[in-house]
Amino acid sequence: MSAIGAKPAAGAAVDTTAMVVGIIILLLVIGATYYLFGSGLAFMALIGIIIGGVLIGFGVHFVPVGGAPAAMGQAPGIATGVAMLAAGAGLAGLFGGAWAAEMGVVVATITGAIGGGLMMAITCMFVNFIYVFGMGIPSASGKVTKDPITGDTQPEFKSQGTEGHGLPFVSYVGGVIGGLFGGAGGTLIYLVLLDLYEEELPAMMNALPAQIVPIAVALAGMFAIGMFLVNAVLAAYNITGTIEGPHDPKFKRFPRAVVASAVASAICGIVAIMIVAV
Amino acid sequence: MTVKVEKIEGGIPHTTIMIAGLIASLVFLYLTYANVIMGTEYFAFFGGLATVAALIWGSHTIKHLCSYGIGTGVPSAGMIAFGSGVIAMLFATKYGIAAPIVAVVLAAVIGLILGYLANNVLNMRIPVMIQSLVEMAIIGALVLMGYAAMMTGSFELTSLTTGNVQILGLSLPSYQASFLGGALIATAFMLGAIAIQHPFNACLGPNWTQDRMLMLAAECGFLSMITAAIMSMPLISMSAALVSLFVAIIGWYYTYAKYIELSKRDAAAWLESKPIPDVEGH
Repeated sequence: MSAIGAKPAAGAAVDTTAMVVGIIILLLVIGATYYLFGSGLAFMALIGIIIGGVLIGFGVHFVPVGGAPAAMGQAPGIATGVAMLAAGAGLAGLFGGAWAAEMGVVVATITGAIGGGLMMAITCMFVNFIYVFGMGIPSASGKVTKDPITGDTQPEFKSQGTEGHGLPFVSYVGGVIGGLFGGAGGTLIYLVLLDLYEEELPAMMNALPAQIVPIAVALAGMFAIGMFLVNAVLAAYNITGTIEGPHDPKFKRFPRAVVASAVASAICGIVAIMIVAV
Repeated sequence: MTVKVEKIEGGIPHTTIMIAGLIASLVFLYLTYANVIMGTEYFAFFGGLATVAALIWGSHTIKHLCSYGIGTGVPSAGMIAFGSGVIAMLFATKYGIAAPIVAVVLAAVIGLILGYLANNVLNMRIPVMIQSLVEMAIIGALVLMGYAAMMTGSFELTSLTTGNVQILGLSLPSYQASFLGGALIATAFMLGAIAIQHPFNACLGPNWTQDRMLMLAAECGFLSMITAAIMSMPLISMSAALVSLFVAIIGWYYTYAKYIELSKRDAAAWLESKPIPDVEGH
């Protein structure tokens, strides 16, 4: 068995004890934040970070990830790993949303979502372009017999010995939805942290609010990128390899990733808050 | 149940590399503190050496983890290392001289929780998962702290956030010309994240050899150190930055030559071709 052929056998089973332990850690962190900082900006920041993290962890499951098999035309999806794709979509969204940061949470989050979705839409389009016109393979899903959205039949286009290939319509739509979720989540984390740092840093560093803007932006951006990557990789570990999109049976594993993302975001979030509040 | 697909045969055991990497990295980080004691910036290059030590350890940790076939690609391990490491490192810089120790402890706690989430909540069931993610978070924090110490001469939050700008001969404090305010940390993040995942990604396979991968890790570390030395020029004195650059180039050349030598040793056959072939009749 080669290193590439070995698939980890992390099944779809849910470890209830571990889930409960995870939820208890989450509640402890939320409780500790409330106890330490009260119900002010810091607490709201933590809640925002957890929501953003869950959006990222959930969104990654929509993205059609093909990995190395897709590059050889033996599996459907975009031919790279989950972490790279999610980072691309999320950071594109984060940069988009950061431009709109002054226009309020709602506008900025939606802008971030559109940035992420747009990036995935363009990626998916050119991936299909190269598959169809460059490699000469039709798009066919290996997991379903009919495309859930268009109703097109799939098996007659699927080559023997492959798990499907190309990027069927439902995978394309899944990619765009994943980009929307990822971009919105990343932007939300950035916005709540930026608000908190712009409020707390002037007093902590004994400087004018206008002076600390570069520090606040860099700190919030860096923490947002860090949390984004942590959540994206945890979701990737949940998928273990490739996924076709929302119609893939692996998609049903998302409750585990939601719990894991919430706990991981809470842990990273309380550290990010303590840098100014302790 | 997971199948371990590659064994580490012979060579240095992982525990030895881990302990050596941790101690070397911490010692080099504390050597940069000589800057504060002696009021100079010439010891900044020790920060770069700390990153090289941590990166060598990190590439072996990735080998240790990814030999179980985690199914998500090797780069994802580097990304989670720095994603969790940056959070621990930034918080730890608040603690002055204790910063490297605080970073190691906090990164271990974050890594432990992430490892538990990956192994139990996400049901990965990989025996070395928790230990590896703890190590990865510590490595991420130490590498970033090494770059911070190298580019600014110190690992304290005040010196990471405050720089100086020369305007008409006057030296004015500026938050924008700093490691954090100028977002040099984002570049340091990627320099480290790519250097940590590349060695195993490039050397994996049936003819993987430990010394070749570790030499490539050192080479990647010194290559990143060259870039970091150039980026340190606006933040520390030019002569101190040139010392860092000199050390980085010497280290890079030595490790690169050794790596090519080891690659030729492991190759079945090789042909010495020139980068641009001479065309006859010209």
